[in-house]
Amino acid sequence: MPTIKRDLTMEQQLAAAPLDLPFLMLVVLLTGIGVITVFSASYPTAINEGAKATTYFVHQGIYALLGFVLMYAASRINYQYYRFFSILLLGVALVLLVLVLIPGVHTVRSDGVKRWIRRIGPIPSFQPSEVAKLGVILFFSARMSRRHEVKRTQYDPNVYLGKFPAGKVMQKLEDWGFLELVPYGVILLLIVLLMKAEPHMSGTILILIPAAAILFAGGIGWHWILIGGGVIGAGLWYIIQNTSYMSLRLQVQADPWAYPQNGGYQIIQSLYSIGSGGLFGVGFGQGRQKQLFLPEAENDFIFSVWCEEMGLVGAYLVLILFLLLILRGYWIALHARDPFGSLLVVGIITLMAAQVFLNISVVTNFLPTTGVSLPFFSYGGTALVIQLIEMGIVLGVSRQIPAPKQE
Amino acid sequence: MARMTQEERERRAREQRDRERAERKRRIKERRERREKGPTPDMQKTNRSILFRTGLLVLIFGIAAFLPLFHQLYVIQIEKGAEYQERAINQQTMDNAVAANRGQITDVNGKVLATSATVYDVILSPNDFAKLQERWDEAFIDDEGNIRSSSKNYYPRPEAKNVAEGLAEILEADVEKLTKHMELNSYYEIIAYRVEKEVADEIRSFIVKNHLSNSIQLIPTSKRYYPYNSLAAQVIGWVNWRNDGKGAYGMEALYEENLAGQTGRVVTARDGKSRELKYSFQDYYDATDGNDLTLTLDATIQYYCERILEKGIEMFDVQDGGFVIAMDPKTGAIKGWANSPTYDLNDPWEVTDPVLSDYLERVKAAGESGGLTDEEKEKAYNAALADMRNRQWRNKAMNDSYEPGSTFKSIVLAAALEEGVINENSTYYCPGYYMVDDTKIECSQKAPGHGQQTLAKAVANSCNPAFMMIGQALGPKKFYDYLEDFGFLEATGIDMQGEGKSIVHSRKTFEAPGTRDNTYLATASFGQRITVTPIQLITAASAVVNGGYLMQPYVMKSVTDQQGNIIAQNEPTVVRQVVSEETSQRCRTILEGVVNGGTGKRAYVPGYRIGGKTGSSETVKSGEDPIINKGKDYTIVSFLGFAPADDPQIVVLLAYNAPKPVSPGSNYTEKKYYISGGNMAAVMAGELMENILDSMGVERRYSDTEKAMIDVTVPNLMGQTAQIGKEAVESSGLTVRTVGQGETVTAQIPVGGAVIPSGSQVVLYLGEEKPTDLVTVPDVRGQTADQAQQALAREGLYLKVGGSSRYMASSSLAASQSISPGAQVERGTVVECRFMDNTMTAE
Repeated sequence: MPTIKRDLTMEQQLAAAPLDLPFLMLVVLLTGIGVITVFSASYPTAINEGAKATTYFVHQGIYALLGFVLMYAASRINYQYYRFFSILLLGVALVLLVLVLIPGVHTVRSDGVKRWIRRIGPIPSFQPSEVAKLGVILFFSARMSRRHEVKRTQYDPNVYLGKFPAGKVMQKLEDWGFLELVPYGVILLLIVLLMKAEPHMSGTILILIPAAAILFAGGIGWHWILIGGGVIGAGLWYIIQNTSYMSLRLQVQADPWAYPQNGGYQIIQSLYSIGSGGLFGVGFGQGRQKQLFLPEAENDFIFSVWCEEMGLVGAYLVLILFLLLILRGYWIALHARDPFGSLLVVGIITLMAAQVFLNISVVTNFLPTTGVSLPFFSYGGTALVIQLIEMGIVLGVSRQIPAPKQE
Repeated sequence: MARMTQEERERRAREQRDRERAERKRRIKERRERREKGPTPDMQKTNRSILFRTGLLVLIFGIAAFLPLFHQLYVIQIEKGAEYQERAINQQTMDNAVAANRGQITDVNGKVLATSATVYDVILSPNDFAKLQERWDEAFIDDEGNIRSSSKNYYPRPEAKNVAEGLAEILEADVEKLTKHMELNSYYEIIAYRVEKEVADEIRSFIVKNHLSNSIQLIPTSKRYYPYNSLAAQVIGWVNWRNDGKGAYGMEALYEENLAGQTGRVVTARDGKSRELKYSFQDYYDATDGNDLTLTLDATIQYYCERILEKGIEMFDVQDGGFVIAMDPKTGAIKGWANSPTYDLNDPWEVTDPVLSDYLERVKAAGESGGLTDEEKEKAYNAALADMRNRQWRNKAMNDSYEPGSTFKSIVLAAALEEGVINENSTYYCPGYYMVDDTKIECSQKAPGHGQQTLAKAVANSCNPAFMMIGQALGPKKFYDYLEDFGFLEATGIDMQGEGKSIVHSRKTFEAPGTRDNTYLATASFGQRITVTPIQLITAASAVVNGGYLMQPYVMKSVTDQQGNIIAQNEPTVVRQVVSEETSQRCRTILEGVVNGGTGKRAYVPGYRIGGKTGSSETVKSGEDPIINKGKDYTIVSFLGFAPADDPQIVVLLAYNAPKPVSPGSNYTEKKYYISGGNMAAVMAGELMENILDSMGVERRYSDTEKAMIDVTVPNLMGQTAQIGKEAVESSGLTVRTVGQGETVTAQIPVGGAVIPSGSQVVLYLGEEKPTDLVTVPDVRGQTADQAQQALAREGLYLKVGGSSRYMASSSLAASQSISPGAQVERGTVVECRFMDNTMTAE
């Protein structure tokens, strides 16, 4: 039998083990396509704003390079440290979510929405919700991965609060697995409330989905999944029925042309863009819809520009690349060294998958409009950097995948 | 420890090493065991759960969620792609039309009948003007409200009043109206339509001078010009710029697609803020100018047709207009086609025909006195106006059918000759009527009638009983066959819009035995109780005289593109041969007799062999008509003529509808013209055909009797010896008188080149001065030819005879003279007089 390499220390092992090459290649490829698409999609906007045509592109490119560096750095960190770090990050995120509500800290927007912390010194403007996403994923996966180590607490059934059989009730709740969920619920509730104040609906959804995925994968009882699904379904139904805002969105989605003033415009323009592409597209850079017809061409609707210029073939290509990335991500999760690695990757990959799904659903009018950007494509430096760091974390997990047994 | 020996230390160290080694071995063994044994049960359970649940997530987020997106993209890009793309392109492009020039319409010789030029609509934008003033205020009024007239680029403030006045002057428009326009809240007020280039240029400099920039704009558009105004109006048609700019009526409408050309486009990409994307893309779709249309019409012949129509209408007090068609019998090409009432193609909405405008005046007057509200008055007038316009726009010689009357006998003649049921030796006895079963149908020549007559004579007399007999001989079946063969049951297929239909009974009805209720065959034999369109009749008549070939009539000769390439052309098309060459030749001979001594004698033109057939149909016009009293006094007088009789070059059909009798039931008009085709239409046809044949360069061939009346051109004898001069004059068939004793001719009357009747006297001056005083032209109207000749000769003038062949007869009187009575003219001037026989000629 040859030398057993696994007898090396964790640190040694980390330094030596390769990261998952397919995953890395997909990330690099998608980011590359994304940055180039930003150039094509943004130059009319840039020129219209009186800036150089390449302004957005250069900006995005610099952040991509920075992102790659940080991604590599993240991949070199032993992810076990995140267990501790997650509490810190979550705390910071909550603080930032509070700070962003304070006038003077957030950017000033005409619609009064407070999502961005303004640029302070060398720190660029960013959304605290991006930090919160990562914080929640890290914290939830760290905590869930320890679940099996925690013994079920035994409550004294004879404890009463007045006449209330507190002990028995607590025991029942513990047996149902409710108490176990309380910390997660409190954190999510806090975040939801804080983000409701911004308001930031789509950001909230993008925190809830990976959180739910981690809880689900982490092994909480099926009944909680059913109850959770039921509550969310009922909530959605209630919102749609009782808020004019949501029902209007649904009507717009059903027939954007009937509501050109109430949000139908961007959907119409997006459909025109995608439709103009046909099978092979009008050619890279040749899109016309980005000439100030398509709002947010370099941002939320960047995929529409890509579809117009590269056609159905290009659209499917990018979709397939994303799918491959997602599947490879879950593969890493399935092969991770420990539950923490698995859950961590599940959270990150689910977050990315949800973002891709929601963005493309919106631009193709499959779902009502929500402001979700497309990972690696949409213009926005901090978001891209954070996404790449997240990918770095996944790569870090991939380094610790045990090699197949050699018989 | 210090007492420990070296050995002991070494032993302990060895023990320690062994322990460590054992411990390491144990740990490795444990690990190996653990690895081989796998995770603890608890861990295992957790891991399996994560694996399973992550697998579910893969299914959801990795596959299931994305499938609808693939489908959605396919729907948008492929299924609905074209639709979205079209909508996208609509919003992405600015589309500016580039007008194509409409093709010209020319006559057969290239004379331009219709052409186009650019004119301009003047558009005012009051709102832009207001902005203009605001900008001026910003630029030239400082904070204290003072005008900075000394500042650079200063110019006086544009004021609405000045602009309105300036525009009013240029456009010759109402200042008040323009001022009102200036005050409107609007970006688009058309203040003048279709101004000519010169006016547009004036406005342009006015705009520049007054700094009005985009508050006044000139939009180029196309205007159609018709250089000959009303010439061939119903054939050419016009372009309705008020509606869609497309051809309305006639050739303009029928060949719209050819003439209009292809409007070009400049498609410019624009951005979402409607700004032109200069460097993005710009597509030019060049305007393709319309093709030119060459008609078979000859403007000269057309002019003759219209002149003769108008002349006859005035002369014979015609109440309901008329038409003239001139056709090349060999090809079916229309050479001239006149309609009355007519109108000016340059202003088709204007009613100028005297009859029609009279009626409009009457409607207006009736409205004033009728106690109607203003609205009702206007409605009534507008309805009348629309009706009158429609009348003048109609091409009645094709849109409408009429009872052809005796002109139709030419067709019956041809059919009967072809079938051999009659021949030149047939004779017919006319007692003044004919019995169909027990129905008595009278001849125009009432009892005792025409008596015994040969076929030729019967045709020349236009004898109805004879033709009823001929029809009878032919039989209803054969008769009907020929109606069909001559094309009376179908459209001719001429390239004109709205060809009318004939009204002929069905074959079954027609072939039923002749009874009181069925006189169809009998009446049809002389062209009554059936209606045909004039174009059908002239086409059939052409077949009678051209060797038997029914041609398809046509008006378009060719369509040529702007490079002169022929794109389409009409070739003469034989529909079928109806009668033989021989029958046709026999018909020509018999029909020539109509003009040569028959009812058509007034169409006679010396030197031209003219054949034809007169017609007058008393017809009850169907339907109400606001203009003309229907009933017995509505007579259509017509003449169908062709020449030369041995080789027809031209066929004409002319008709005047309803000459007005001097009193109800009278056969004469106020001007003493007998109401009949022979007395009216034939006279006009003679003049018309003479003009046409002359213009076509058809050579006159005189018969021996005609030669006596040949006009002679006086030779120029100036400077010749008296002897040579005398001989030359006499050899020309003229007589000569000399004045003076010289040896050379110093002057002559008339001058060389003048055309005078043979036998007239030429005066040669030999050294003597030619009298230079002017003489007064006498009034010879109402005189016989002899009287007129003498009266003119007394003044040293010459008579030239035109018109009727029977001018020698005492009944022929001069109807008109080419130089008005009382005019002062040189001696030797030739005065041409037209003679007419105004005795009644029944048909």
